[in-house]
Amino acid sequence: MKKLLRALALVMAAMLALSACGSGAAPSGTESGGEAANVQANPGVKTINLWSFTDEVPGMVEDYKKLHPDLPYDFKTTIIATSDGGYQIALDAALAAGGAEAPDIFCAEAAFIKKYVEGPFTATYKSLGIDVDAEAKAAGIAQYTMDVGSYNGEVKGLGYQATGGAFIYRRSLAKEVLGSDEPNAVQEAIKDWDSFFDTARKMKAAGYAMVSGDGDLWHPMENSRKGKWIEDNKLVLDDNVMQFFEFSKILKQEGLSNETTDWTEAWYADMAGTGVKPVFGFFGPAWLINYVMKGNSGGTAPGEGTYGDWGVCVPTTGFYWGGTWVLANANTTAKAEVADLIRWITLDSSDTGLQASWALGDTVASSVVMEKTDGHWEFIGNQDAFEVFVPANEKADGHTLGPFDENINSLFRDQVREYASGNKDKEQAVADFQMGVANIVDLDS
Amino acid sequence: MTKMSPTKVVIYVVCILLAVLSIMPFWIMFVNSTRSTVEIQGGISLLPSSHFMSNLSILLNKGFNPMVGFVNSFAIAAGATLCGVYFSSLTAYALVAYHFKARQAFFTFIMCVLMIPAQVSAIGFYQFMYQLHWVNSIWPLILPSIAAPAMVFFMRQYLLSTLSIEMVEAARIDGSGEFATFNRIILPLMAPAIATQAIFAFVGSWNSLFTPMILLTSKDRYTMPIMVNLLRGDIYRTEFGSIYLGLAMTSLPLFVVYFLLSRYIIAGVALGGVKE
Amino acid sequence: MRHKSVSYAKYGYIFLVPFVAAFLFFSLYPIIYTLVISMSDLKGVGTASFSILANPFQNFINIAKNELFQKSLATTGIIWILNFIPQMALALLLTAWFTNERLRVRGQGAFKVLLYMPNIITSGTIAVLFYSLFSYPIGPVNSLVTMLGLTDRPYEFLRDASVARGLIAFIQFWMWYGNTMIVLIAGVLGISPAIFDAAAIDGANSLKTFLYVTLPSLRQIMLYTLITSLIGGLQMFDIPKLFTNGGPDNATQTASVYIFNQAFTGSYQYNRAAAASMLMFVITAIFSGALFYLMRDKDAQKAKKQRKLLEKAAALNGGAQA
Repeated sequence: MKKLLRALALVMAAMLALSACGSGAAPSGTESGGEAANVQANPGVKTINLWSFTDEVPGMVEDYKKLHPDLPYDFKTTIIATSDGGYQIALDAALAAGGAEAPDIFCAEAAFIKKYVEGPFTATYKSLGIDVDAEAKAAGIAQYTMDVGSYNGEVKGLGYQATGGAFIYRRSLAKEVLGSDEPNAVQEAIKDWDSFFDTARKMKAAGYAMVSGDGDLWHPMENSRKGKWIEDNKLVLDDNVMQFFEFSKILKQEGLSNETTDWTEAWYADMAGTGVKPVFGFFGPAWLINYVMKGNSGGTAPGEGTYGDWGVCVPTTGFYWGGTWVLANANTTAKAEVADLIRWITLDSSDTGLQASWALGDTVASSVVMEKTDGHWEFIGNQDAFEVFVPANEKADGHTLGPFDENINSLFRDQVREYASGNKDKEQAVADFQMGVANIVDLDS
Repeated sequence: MTKMSPTKVVIYVVCILLAVLSIMPFWIMFVNSTRSTVEIQGGISLLPSSHFMSNLSILLNKGFNPMVGFVNSFAIAAGATLCGVYFSSLTAYALVAYHFKARQAFFTFIMCVLMIPAQVSAIGFYQFMYQLHWVNSIWPLILPSIAAPAMVFFMRQYLLSTLSIEMVEAARIDGSGEFATFNRIILPLMAPAIATQAIFAFVGSWNSLFTPMILLTSKDRYTMPIMVNLLRGDIYRTEFGSIYLGLAMTSLPLFVVYFLLSRYIIAGVALGGVKE
Repeated sequence: MRHKSVSYAKYGYIFLVPFVAAFLFFSLYPIIYTLVISMSDLKGVGTASFSILANPFQNFINIAKNELFQKSLATTGIIWILNFIPQMALALLLTAWFTNERLRVRGQGAFKVLLYMPNIITSGTIAVLFYSLFSYPIGPVNSLVTMLGLTDRPYEFLRDASVARGLIAFIQFWMWYGNTMIVLIAGVLGISPAIFDAAAIDGANSLKTFLYVTLPSLRQIMLYTLITSLIGGLQMFDIPKLFTNGGPDNATQTASVYIFNQAFTGSYQYNRAAAASMLMFVITAIFSGALFYLMRDKDAQKAKKQRKLLEKAAALNGGAQA
């Protein structure tokens, strides 16, 4: 029996070693740097595997195929939801396993893009033959989206959206409490956090909530960090982001919000103005307006629900929220083909590029495209959204994002809520936050 | 009217209460599948609404293909259930009917296997399957159920109380091979236990989300729970109405299987203690 | 007779082949893989090469000393006990009612079918339903408690550690008591009717019959329920992950959720997750072993010993005679 076990263990060890060699081979020719590589089309390419977590990019691929009806290859799209962590687990396994089934192109959102940008599987745009510096400049790509998608100065992923944030406020409430619904007047009332909370108290006195919940304050706070959460393998407690503890407590104790959690039913209800108290505003990018608030406003035309009663102004601090980036597998055998699609999605500022059509309902990465597009949206009282969002994209800072932010943020917010609810004091909450982070990230102690 | 004893009143009250608790979530799920997202956000209702068709069209537009999902889910759940009950019965029969040296040791071994937490091998299992490129195949979701220790334990208990070795001897005298004896005589004898375990196994496999989600990445391989989960993962907006509709559609086939086999639950299975 | 059973013994082995093969292929490799990783430095996305640590048990030491892992073990235990005791109690009560010939509960077929039903709904659905039931600040339960005047303002149920734990224990209890009941009824049906007849002749009442006749005969089946529930309880993952995601403040982070978070969040510390998994295995084995020992059939054990002694004596006799 012992002998048998030993033999088995040996076989297993051998299998392990083999598989480790198989998948551990270094991706070749990715770190060329400098000039864009000269990449030829590969006539052997039959299918390009595309992995995504929504049907957004796969939908674009359908349009791409219509635009190029005689492509000699086809796309195979895989969609796995990010809920419960499924997407990343499957993607990691597929990338590590390699082979014909491995993704050639894959999408990542801000929450986890850094993991892939800094990881070994992602190709630089230059190695795909994209002269990214020149092309990005020509299209006027928002700088923060490039910073988010870069590692060691090399661009590895770009997006199509720009997700710089604004303060999205209810015009009727602004008129009633602040005396004006002009963006400039509202901006003046929230120009810094002291003014913001003064205004919040005025709103409370009038029977309104300033924001829906602490989550609405979180996104601008998150981006106000001066550096990354983890620097030199140590957790940094940044002064700006630490303010979130006190701000949350003020919101909760003084009753300035409706105490909702973002992405829950109560939060959506506040967009229709049917929550506990009418809510003055939300911090958010253009996609929040067009893809979330519009559908939850309780109406489809001005005068119905809160539709048309919104406005946008420059937020208290510059921030961005969300976004999808497109990355390429370093081991793809279809470099030129992958590059063509990536270029069309992320860098093409012509009228047939993706962003030209995308800009009809969102802000896009290319400022050149936005200049050509009309940003007067009915939902925000025909205000020109781009007037606020184009500068907002410039104010967003893409340098502070790190690979573990998604998990660290959720630990942080959990402890802030513990503190704001009065379940523990700040010292304890901070200590528990640090312990939580040390548990999931391998830090130097 | 006959008078009921107070004990019986208590029994009926408790049972009816528990039955209501059992039905409630299903009722809410079916009702919500006919309500719009806005209505659902407004609170729980026990009366159906009129948005069934719009929920259905959202569901179908989002790539929810009930037929594909049903076929895949059914293939996996039925395959896993058949493998599970058949081979567990076989294993249990071997443990009860034959006296061989390693019998007790093997039973202990099965009990040990039962104790291995799923998380222990999950990481290794995913990596192994990807290394073999055994992805988008239903076999890694079916074949592991051949070794289902809890089921073997249950079947063994059942055989201990129902199997009479005389029946086996009689079959041998008639010239029946050992394998044929098992298939023709023992399996029918085990029908009640098999039906009970089949319900447990089918439900478990049908509802499992995580492993299929990791291993089945191709659209035409998705199971129904994966498709519903995809709806939940929409980054901008959660269409609660269509999610509930998806969940309701997912559980309908389960109801059919459950009620088909439920007469065995009503009749009950007799399990014996270990009496040798 | 004896030589016959020996000649058939090989079928015993043959029939075990599928089980063993499936186990070796689908379980043993992953387990050994996990064991190797638990002693290595493997972590991070896309890392495939790793080496065994200088002290192979370093990960085990780190995990065993880890405060959050200890807390997650305690959480697992608390939730399991909160769920198992009422679950067993209710299942036994229902078993007593449904198998009592004298009570003749009407419609018990329908009740059995209905009470098992919570077990066929997916954890995902239950998580979504309960989350919206207890949502804050507006939600059905909150409307109810304010309407009844229990609180003057909505209560944030899922921010309260004890409420969150209690709810998860309740969900587990509610999903599984029907299953336990069916298995227990199966056990009662397996008891020889002669024993009940004897008890009836002796004039035992229902309660006494249940306590002194039914319960002791159910020992093996209860052991089965206990062990499977214990193992299921130690591996509790779906509901705490989908319903509360381990929160608030880790109050519902069970050991399995902890292991998942180690392996699939942050810097993907596979090695620590593997070490924690192995520790869980040891803990499960210790608890199950203890249960086996406590619930062992003492009479059968004695009888077996005696039989062995007799056999030995017989063998000695036989030897002497030859």
